[in-house]
Amino acid sequence: MTHLTPVVSPLSEVDQLAKPVTLACDRTFPIVAELSGLFGDRGMRRGSTIGVTGDAALSLAVALSVGVSRSGGWMAAVGLPSFGSLAASELGAELSRWAFIDRPGDQAGNVIHALAANVDLVLIGPDIKLRADHGHRIVARMRERGTSAVAIDNSYLFNSRVDVNLRITRTTWTGISSGHGRLTSRKVEVEATGRGANSSPRRQLLWLPDEKGQLGAIDQGDEQKKSSRLPRTENKKMFAELTEPALRAS
Amino acid sequence: MTDVRTLVLAIPHWSTIAAGAAYDCPAAVMHMNRVVDATPFAVEQGVVPGTRRREAQRLCPDLEMIDDDEARNARRFHLIVTALESVTPRVETSTSGWCSFPTRGPSRYFGGDQNLARLAADRALRALCDTLGVAEVPSVIQPRVGVADSRFAACLAAFPKNLPFIRVVAPGASSEFLAPFPVDALGSKDSPLVDATDLIDVFRRLGLHTLGDVASVPVDHLLARFGSPGLLAHRLSLGTDSRTPQTHLISDVVMEEIEIEPPTAHVETVVFLAKALADEIHRRLSGEGLACVRILIEVESEHDESCGRYWRHEHQFTPTAITDRVRWQLEGWGYSATGPTGRLSLVRLVVDEAVPDDGRQLGFWGGETPSDERVVRSLARIQGMLGSDAVTVVEHSEGRCLLDIEQRVSLAVAGFDPDRSIAIPEAMAAPWPGRLSAPLPAAVFQQAHQLIVTDVKGQPVRVNGRGQIGGEPAQVQGEPLGSHLIVGWAGPWFLDERWWDPARKRRQARFQLLLADGTAHLCVVKSEKWWLEASYE
Repeated sequence: MTHLTPVVSPLSEVDQLAKPVTLACDRTFPIVAELSGLFGDRGMRRGSTIGVTGDAALSLAVALSVGVSRSGGWMAAVGLPSFGSLAASELGAELSRWAFIDRPGDQAGNVIHALAANVDLVLIGPDIKLRADHGHRIVARMRERGTSAVAIDNSYLFNSRVDVNLRITRTTWTGISSGHGRLTSRKVEVEATGRGANSSPRRQLLWLPDEKGQLGAIDQGDEQKKSSRLPRTENKKMFAELTEPALRAS
Repeated sequence: MTDVRTLVLAIPHWSTIAAGAAYDCPAAVMHMNRVVDATPFAVEQGVVPGTRRREAQRLCPDLEMIDDDEARNARRFHLIVTALESVTPRVETSTSGWCSFPTRGPSRYFGGDQNLARLAADRALRALCDTLGVAEVPSVIQPRVGVADSRFAACLAAFPKNLPFIRVVAPGASSEFLAPFPVDALGSKDSPLVDATDLIDVFRRLGLHTLGDVASVPVDHLLARFGSPGLLAHRLSLGTDSRTPQTHLISDVVMEEIEIEPPTAHVETVVFLAKALADEIHRRLSGEGLACVRILIEVESEHDESCGRYWRHEHQFTPTAITDRVRWQLEGWGYSATGPTGRLSLVRLVVDEAVPDDGRQLGFWGGETPSDERVVRSLARIQGMLGSDAVTVVEHSEGRCLLDIEQRVSLAVAGFDPDRSIAIPEAMAAPWPGRLSAPLPAAVFQQAHQLIVTDVKGQPVRVNGRGQIGGEPAQVQGEPLGSHLIVGWAGPWFLDERWWDPARKRRQARFQLLLADGTAHLCVVKSEKWWLEASYE
């Protein structure tokens, strides 16, 4: 556990606590630096719903939770009986802060509702279904309490659109061929779309996992990186700077 | 302060008896990879409490390992306690196979400590025979009884290395009785000293090797050097009672009860209601600076049957600990012959004995926070909805196969401790040759799915007994994958475990398969069949 990547500095969190008023959009979860490019300029907001789809969905969902559980937050996994805890601890998850409800059956809505008030992040498996009214109630409660939900390969869970949608568009395994080698690492391309602060599409290449089972960022071409990671506010500022002299001149 | 002369009745190796292991077969009860208790047969082979799992297996290769379950221990102990209740109504149950009661009244009634002890041992022995369904039990697991001036001394008297079954320490002679015991006795799990390992270590380095040595040190020196744990250690070694019981509470007797309306047949509903009562009791007591060490739990059914039981905790009851006791008592009552015939209609908690709370220093960083408490509450609610086994936590143990290593333990069994550490197998002492190396699959199926793997000609691919593959895997078919072409594969990695044990031996060959759709999977071949064990999701 010595060579884990550091989570985003907890100082910003102290800052949030000390302020007399914190806007909902400023309340964020700490996430590992490699994944921060997937979210808008403010990061992963508390109370938001996140959908993860594609081949490496489970691994990506666990990677999202690493910063939360390591900064003392509580995690719950609903409907994920085949969760591989060894792989999760390789990614850096703090498993003493996880609770699992494997088979909630037809009580899924009540279970998630009970969790929504008190844990920080709920991972929801592909087979969980919610009634429409349940879904709305849960989303409202989560927004109020600052709990986030990650729906894994379960796009119809909340009936409405999720706040951030992380789609894994491409996965490539390396290290294995016919009869020799072994699986060593996987290159994953994640595409993030969403609404509000997250509406501009972003793209990120990751090692998920790398040869040690951990998460790693892959540097993309510089240009691509700039365009994909530039926050919108900065974009606007640059635009203003470009246009202002022109206006003055006229 | 007057000491309460106490009788302690203990059944040796109770955890193994409760787990259903016969005394003459090798079995051990494990918790966190360490032996907690072992059958007399296993103890003879050198498997003593505290032994690590692999060490125990080395000492006794056909050892059967059973997971520890406090609820099971308490539930099956119910019958023994019921038998003793014909002697005195004030039997206090602890969890690990022993119970105690003050002897003053019963001893006078039955004509002396010796007679009382013999009677108690006799009743318990008969109940034990009934529980096991045998006419006679061997002397190694017969109940032991100790009577002494303090609980701690009585407890040591009841856990002798050998005979006699009954040991009565004369009034006033407890300190002489305790003097030869090694100082380690202060740190046993039934001792009121919390986390005494460091303290005992210091005592030993100071040259205080027995309880007599500790008792001979002037009390003010111990208090000055070690604070309240030092004082407690001195009192224990002298054979006086550990703490001053608060006989009358500052407010009225703390009692909480709730009528269950409508009556329910579900244990979990009662437990959930009891949780709220326990929280309230805890709040009221801590407001007065007190901690509960003995509690009376009473449950009534709609047919006017009731079951009341005293529970004692050596340190102090937390709300969760109280709720656990309620569950154990209900399960024990439900399974017994005198169980309730109707639904349950009332639960009542009465604080019977409270002591001044010494308090504990919370860590500056970490420790329990209000948010931890809220999480515990919502998980308890989910247990109430789905049953106590529905919420699980991860526990890692040693092994080569993924399912051996990562195990889920019910929250009701594991208890809830936010600071509990989960050892990652790499960090464990020794490597396991034959283990998978990183990266590991993110999805491990609880039940393997059968697959059909064929070569280019459509013939099934086999692996022979020497671990050699006959043919190249080209196509895979089966649930939940569907039908796919194989674009990459690696293996076989051969694994032959416990070949000496016909019942548990395991021979398998592992493969990694990369399919045309980009997904990778871990498969094993066992007795000519392919199984999908995990996926690199």
